[in-house]
Amino acid sequence: MSADPADRPLLTVRGVHRRFGSGPTAVHALRDVSFDLAAGTMVALIGRSGSGKTTLLNVIGGLDRPDSGTVLVDGADVTALDEDGLSRLRREKVSYVFQTFGLIPVLSAAENVGAPLRLARLPAAERERRVELLLELVGLADHAQQRPGELSGGQQQRVAIARALAASPRLLIADEPTGQLDAETGLSVMALLRGVVESEGVTALVSTHDPTMLALADRVIQINDGRLDEREAS
Amino acid sequence: MRWRAGLWPVGRWWPLALHWPSVLGRARADAGSLLLAAAVVAVVTLLAGAVPPLLRATADEAVQDGVRRAGGDGDVLVEARMERDDGPNGGRVRAPRLAEDVDDFRDRATDELGPGLRAALRPPVATVISPTLKITDGSVLRTFQLAYLAKGDGADGGPQADGADDSDGGPHVTWIAGGPPRPAVPEADNHAEVPAMGKPRPVQVALSEADAEALKLRPGARIPLKDDAGNIKKVLVSGIFRPTDSTDSAWRSAPALLRPVSGADGVGSTRFAGLLSPGSLPDARLAFDQDALRRVVRFTPDPSRITWDSAQAIASKVVALKANSGSSGALDGSLKWETGLDGVLRNIRAQVGAASAQASVLLTGVLTVAVLVLLLAADLLVRRRAPALEAARQRGAALPTLAAELLLESTVVALSAAAAGLALSRAVVPGASWEWVLPVVLAAVVAGPAFGTLAAARATRDRRVPANRTARRWARHTVQLRRAALEAAVLIAAVAAFVALHQRGILPAALAPGGDVAGPGLGLGDGPLPASAPALGVVAGTLVVLRLLPAGLGLVLKRALRSRRPLAVFGTARAVATSARALPLLVLVTSAALASFALTLDATAGDGLAEGAWRTVGADARLDVVPAAAASTPALARRIAAAPGVREVVAAQVTDRARVVADSLVVGPRLVIVDASAFRRLLAATPLPDAPALARLGATGHGDVPALVRSDDGGLRSGMRLDLLRDGAPTIRLTAVGTAPAVGDAGDVVVVDAATLKAAGMPSVPNTVWAAGPGAARAVAASAVDADTVLREDVLRARRAAPLTSGLLTLAWVSAATLLALGLLGLALGAAASAPERWQTLTRLRTLGLRPRDARWIAAGELLPPVMVAAVVGPLLGVLLARLMLGSLALRLLTGQAADPALVLPWWRLGLVTVALLVAVAVVVPIESALRRRRRLSEVLRAGGG
Ligand SMILES: Nc1ncnc2c1ncn2[C@@H]1O[C@H](COP(=O)(O)OP(=O)(O)OP(=O)(O)O)[C@@H](O)[C@H]1O
Ligand SMILES: [Mg+2]
Repeated sequence: MSADPADRPLLTVRGVHRRFGSGPTAVHALRDVSFDLAAGTMVALIGRSGSGKTTLLNVIGGLDRPDSGTVLVDGADVTALDEDGLSRLRREKVSYVFQTFGLIPVLSAAENVGAPLRLARLPAAERERRVELLLELVGLADHAQQRPGELSGGQQQRVAIARALAASPRLLIADEPTGQLDAETGLSVMALLRGVVESEGVTALVSTHDPTMLALADRVIQINDGRLDEREAS
Repeated sequence: MRWRAGLWPVGRWWPLALHWPSVLGRARADAGSLLLAAAVVAVVTLLAGAVPPLLRATADEAVQDGVRRAGGDGDVLVEARMERDDGPNGGRVRAPRLAEDVDDFRDRATDELGPGLRAALRPPVATVISPTLKITDGSVLRTFQLAYLAKGDGADGGPQADGADDSDGGPHVTWIAGGPPRPAVPEADNHAEVPAMGKPRPVQVALSEADAEALKLRPGARIPLKDDAGNIKKVLVSGIFRPTDSTDSAWRSAPALLRPVSGADGVGSTRFAGLLSPGSLPDARLAFDQDALRRVVRFTPDPSRITWDSAQAIASKVVALKANSGSSGALDGSLKWETGLDGVLRNIRAQVGAASAQASVLLTGVLTVAVLVLLLAADLLVRRRAPALEAARQRGAALPTLAAELLLESTVVALSAAAAGLALSRAVVPGASWEWVLPVVLAAVVAGPAFGTLAAARATRDRRVPANRTARRWARHTVQLRRAALEAAVLIAAVAAFVALHQRGILPAALAPGGDVAGPGLGLGDGPLPASAPALGVVAGTLVVLRLLPAGLGLVLKRALRSRRPLAVFGTARAVATSARALPLLVLVTSAALASFALTLDATAGDGLAEGAWRTVGADARLDVVPAAAASTPALARRIAAAPGVREVVAAQVTDRARVVADSLVVGPRLVIVDASAFRRLLAATPLPDAPALARLGATGHGDVPALVRSDDGGLRSGMRLDLLRDGAPTIRLTAVGTAPAVGDAGDVVVVDAATLKAAGMPSVPNTVWAAGPGAARAVAASAVDADTVLREDVLRARRAAPLTSGLLTLAWVSAATLLALGLLGLALGAAASAPERWQTLTRLRTLGLRPRDARWIAAGELLPPVMVAAVVGPLLGVLLARLMLGSLALRLLTGQAADPALVLPWWRLGLVTVALLVAVAVVVPIESALRRRRRLSEVLRAGGG
């Protein structure tokens, strides 16, 4: 490639279609979606319920495959990767934060945060240092040994964010990370995300229903019935 | 709803309005799980339902088999004095119709039997037998008896000529020389009075071919005889016969009639006998003293007409007859009954009792595991239904209604499965019994509704953990207390069962040695407690393991956290979480342990049978040489020894009921005169225990002949002085210098060295040859001599095939297989129960970048620890319990040994249990992984699985 990696968009989505089912009952969840994302930005994805936000995030993260179109993350064609390639992509470049937190209940907060590092086979000492740092970052250093069941929703989502940052990904995908939190907690979680985008230099793509969150985003992408309808952040 | 109104009118008066669409919908959605539970109920019902009727059928067979084997011991004998024949002039009057008196006596005895006992016995044989006489020529001791036989099938007594005039009721014979004995006096002198003390009265007898040949006598010859007091008897040979059927039970009363019998009158003796006819019987009477002839009627049981049920009544009747017998000193004609039939039946009863008890031990194990598996299946079902049940509650369904709906479903499933199992049982065996099926059906009916109702109740209860610390601690304590109480209850029950088993043994009290014959009916064991000892012991042991497991896994988790293998921690952490659930592990460990117990029981009994056969035969093969051929025994032994594959051969003189005085009591041990060092070599060539004491037999010192003794009742002890009595020869003094090896199944044994005994003046004539080695059986069979050949293989095969033995060994196998199958099913159910949480964890790890193939290892890491625990602890626990309890199960009654068989560990079969469990994990993990991979991560996450 001749282009300078610094100018290159971190994420390129081109002509993505995703259809569920077939025949007259088929649902076109994504129709010809194309957009780019610059590195180091925080982008909000908004749209009504059923508009295709989750479907889009899944396709971008390689959790789902589009019927047509391509997704490039940091130069890698996600749609062309096999299972092992996708696993590596998740270990190295893309991480997720879910509405339901997605923590592993039998592991402590620290072990949850350390899990991606284990999968990346980082030496134990390094791993422990990084976990400590990340828990510090999300303000949960005192809760390192608690299990997810022993944490509040907001604390759990902070652990999930720390975990998503553990392997230093390029792209952080968050699907309604504040969906299960009260407004105040939600705002603080969003603020935390905003902060780590700045401090860790990751790119964050965050879907949300909540218009008050939009203020924190660098850019807002709206999706309507599977079609992109972009407007710039205010 | 049409359903409620039309098809199920019950709904009108049923206070609970069931919601039929929910009931049917639930059943349809979980048809697989319900079918699985139904299959477990059906299979276990088939097993538990079929065993009792099979046992009953086997009990009948065993009674018949046992009576058949008992031979003469089961015969019922009745004796009565003959009427006196004093004449008016101080002499004795010849009684020409004496044979008819004998028939009358036989009919009187038959009447006294009563209908029940009579139906079980063959037509009687009346006998009149003379005292033993000595044959006066020759150096070795030869004895002679006169015997009259009359079968009770309506005809008169005496030998019956085949095809010829058929007026006699004795066993059929063919005359090959001369003819039947005739009266010694002309018709006119029939009623003459003869002086009490006169010259010897002549008597005619017939000899069998074998006896005549051995005595070298022809018709018309006189047999040189005298009685104990030295009085000459004038006995003439009228003819020589050949028995038409030498197995006719009539001959059993006097086997010497057919062929010479060795050892019947002391060591080295041979007995012959002459057959009397109705005509010569009166002469025989006059030839002996007034009461010298014994008049006995012998009834032989007909095994095919004795069943387990009738055996009870028969035994009681026999006991009553014996109890009411006139004393043997009574001078009147009252009947004196004598039989070992009650003892034979008691032994069989004990065997059947033991087999039932052993069967109940095995069945209890299967039922225990089956109940646990059903609980596990119900638990799994309720987990799957939890959302639906919660939804139903939220819709407003009342708990009692939900419970009733679930109960209806489980009842229909359990009862139809049980009915199918029982019907199948009825189709393949003679019946079906439902008593043992009850616990399984009960578990299948109750478990699902109970778990389901609890789950539904919990769904609507406030499920938050109390905020208050003390309240939280209280809640935790209550749970722990409940669990501890349950564990304590199981432990106490297990200890109680163990103690009961140890103190009372497994045999019902009435069947224990010395118990009354008329005991309880055929039941499975004596109360459930002792029979459930192994199952309870296993459950208690597993509970202990369950207590230790979290701590153990915690240690493993600590290590895994530090392990170089970064993924180990995920599987272990899941294993720690699942180990909190008791049921899956309980099923795994109990099934593995009880299967191992059953396999150990099977192996121990199998080895015991083999050992018993070794002991009965004494080597790979044994030849019991008939007396006539005894002279050639040493040559025969040499010939066998030269055959290929024969390692050791020993010839010995074996005499049963030798007369030995010990502590001024006469005992009748088996006397074995043998080359001591050769005998020791023979024992060394067999798995029979070595007898180093044999080395002491050669030592001659202080005049006495050294002997080894063994005795079941302690009548013969080491250190005793014994007198070996001989007819017409000086007594030989023996000193017991040690314990004799077991020789056959005789209770009392005396072993002396042949050379030492010969030096003391008693030469021996070997009549038994033992041969050991792989070629022994063939060599002995090929030796073609006049001898009974007893092969160890044959004895073992016959014992294995005995109804009770083969039945129980089969049951042990079937139980082990069923238990293992239930254990594997439990493994699958446990895996299914923990699958949702495992899949969730794996999905979440996959979103973090876990490779699909690594997911498999983590799943294995979770499933393996409990299975490993079961695969290792299960067999160990089973073997431990076998070690503690097999001694109380009276396996000796099954194996035909004198003592209970030693514990045998079937290593490779136990290894198979372990391997089967581990292989099951190796199968479950990839199957589960394939199922998982069918769905994309996005779908799993959307479905809430993430
Ligand atoms: N597996 C599927 N099968 C069929 N239809 C699907 C599937 N997944 C998504 N859909 C459909 O695709 C459309 C987009 O769904 P998607 O979950 O992306 O919406 P969303 O914007 O995330 O909504 P929400 O804000 O409620 O989460 C919906 O109409 C949905 O019904
Ligand atoms: Mg969504």
